[in-house]
Amino acid sequence: MARIELRGIRKQWGAVVAVEDMNLVIEDGEFVAILGPSGCGKSTTLFMLAGIYMPTAGDLLFDGARVNEVEAKDRNVGIVFQSYALYPHMNVKRNIMFPLKFKGVPREEAERLALEAARMVRVEELLERMPAQLSGGQQQRVALARALVKKPQLLLLDEPLSNLDAALRLSMRSEIKRLQRETGITTVLVTHDQIEATTMADRIVVMRTGRIEQIGTAEDLYRRPDSLFVASFIGAPPINLVEGEAADGRLRVGELTLELRGDVAGAVVLGLRPESIALDGAGIPARVVDVEPMGRETLLLLDTPMGPLRVLQGGASVPYREGDQLGLTFAPQDSILFDRETERRLADVHAAPPKA
Amino acid sequence: MAVQTLEAPAGAERWQMLAVRARRRRRLTDSLLIGFLVTVSVPIILPYFWMLTISVSAKTGGVESVVLWRASGVLVPAVVAFGLLRLFVEGRRLLWGGLMIAAIALVALLLLVGQDLHAQNYRFLWNPDIVADIRGRATAEAQFPSVWVAFRNSLALAVTQTALVLTVSTLAGYYLSRFQFPGRSGFLQGLLVLHAFPAMTLIIPIFLLMYWSGLLDTLTGVILVIATLELPFAIFIMKGFFDAVPWDIEMSAMTDGASRRQAFLQVVLPQVKVGMLAVGVFAFIKGWEEYVFVRTLLFEKQNWVMSLYIFWVSEDIMGVDYGIVAAVAVFYILPSLLLYIFCQKYLVQMTLGGIKG
Repeated sequence: MARIELRGIRKQWGAVVAVEDMNLVIEDGEFVAILGPSGCGKSTTLFMLAGIYMPTAGDLLFDGARVNEVEAKDRNVGIVFQSYALYPHMNVKRNIMFPLKFKGVPREEAERLALEAARMVRVEELLERMPAQLSGGQQQRVALARALVKKPQLLLLDEPLSNLDAALRLSMRSEIKRLQRETGITTVLVTHDQIEATTMADRIVVMRTGRIEQIGTAEDLYRRPDSLFVASFIGAPPINLVEGEAADGRLRVGELTLELRGDVAGAVVLGLRPESIALDGAGIPARVVDVEPMGRETLLLLDTPMGPLRVLQGGASVPYREGDQLGLTFAPQDSILFDRETERRLADVHAAPPKA
Repeated sequence: MAVQTLEAPAGAERWQMLAVRARRRRRLTDSLLIGFLVTVSVPIILPYFWMLTISVSAKTGGVESVVLWRASGVLVPAVVAFGLLRLFVEGRRLLWGGLMIAAIALVALLLLVGQDLHAQNYRFLWNPDIVADIRGRATAEAQFPSVWVAFRNSLALAVTQTALVLTVSTLAGYYLSRFQFPGRSGFLQGLLVLHAFPAMTLIIPIFLLMYWSGLLDTLTGVILVIATLELPFAIFIMKGFFDAVPWDIEMSAMTDGASRRQAFLQVVLPQVKVGMLAVGVFAFIKGWEEYVFVRTLLFEKQNWVMSLYIFWVSEDIMGVDYGIVAAVAVFYILPSLLLYIFCQKYLVQMTLGGIKG
């Protein structure tokens, strides 16, 4: 178990910079997710933590000690790959025992530990099988057992659920979370799936083109996104973003003028989560363009003076139809404003619907 | 009951007719295919069969063509019969039928040519003076080395060159597959270009090279030459196999505590076993059958390999004793044959580029 620290980490290949100025502290026993679209440098970061890539610049610290040059084999890190990377020529038992071979663990002891790890992920019946004879979920469990058997100080998960079907993904998600809680191993999960990140991790690191965009809890990212990128990346259905001009305490959005709380002027972007918009007879006039039932909720597409908006309504059916006229409103504290130039959030600035 | 009502009598008849027609068509294509295969396989099987027949039946002074025709008269019908059998039965019954045909053919052979069979042509295995009968002791003395000397040389040549090709091509293929280095793409193109040149064009420079380096008329020299010429293609094949091994398992092995070398030996190498087997078998066969370079670079009797032995035997005795040439040929073929029989199960799994079929 370890406290991991990245200080000004950069990784580049030739002229291509994959990760730039990365600063991050992962506390002992913490579960951190690195979230971002493909090509954002999240896997590169993971491989630097594993010791497969060496950072070009900066310091990587395990419990305060610099490990930049420590080889992968000496770092005591467990890793689960997206492809599971089981050794195809070894049966499950020998796969799980493989890491112990290099630690000089005596054979009986190794077998006992392997069985223990197999029990932990519930594959003890499969020990004699070959990887090709296992289903995706079973391979996943074996890969977890192999990563855990050596009691690593850091567990790395590289898109571990993306090759599983939806139902299995759900159960593996809680399984991994349970294992992490039980063992208390510091864990880093790399994913492009916001649901995986928000459901499993204590904290989430959002990355974009090699840089950290924001670090925070799921709630931080959702309610107080630092940038337009985070706001639009987190949340499904996605946030409504409309461009506006702020001046003299008013915000001009499309054909509508909103009131501003806070001091700001110039080009801004107003963000409204689909569920923070309330519908009633009064307020900003809107016309229903489309109704999309999503099961537990219903998504409405509205045409408003602010432009098209998505609005989420609870319940499988709503009393609205295409073409209906209605009014909408929102609470000022739910509105999020961004500077259009820097794309950063404007703290303590909110917009309010015009007074009727 | 419900099913019966669904099948109207007219419809059922129609289905019946379609089924019969499909069965007939399938049988027709099958028989055409098998007929074609039998026809083209007879000219391939026949020479080997004749070689075997001559080696156990021919006597000094000429070939008894009667024996050949009789033997062929048994073999060809047997092959055709097996083709027909294949058309009508399958599985265990095919196996038993095949064995039955083989037994009948064997009995027929024994009845027809049994009295002509003898092992005299194989005398070279224990008596080096194989020309004694023809030329008399005095002239024949020590003209030929023992066949076992040639056999041993051939084996040494093939095994050593296989080991050499296998080691170098595996390591080089791995490096080419995994590492980026200046000149890599040029090197890869070079491998293909090198393979495209006929080796014969190099024979004079290689001769001079061997002469000046003092390796002329040594097995070592020949081994180095053949291995060198074999390597480009072998490296290329091995690179293809390594390319097919995912990076993930190697990275996984290294985070599991293996060094790069341990990861290579314990995790990557087992994935390319089939490729190594293929490269190994081809290198062995190449070394075993090599003729051009051994003919050019080896002179002394003590350095003869099997291909030279069979060449000199046929050179000296041809026209007088076909039997012994055929017998040497049978002896020469056996190791390759055994190798193929043991490895063919694995070899059919391979395709160029390393993707298992």
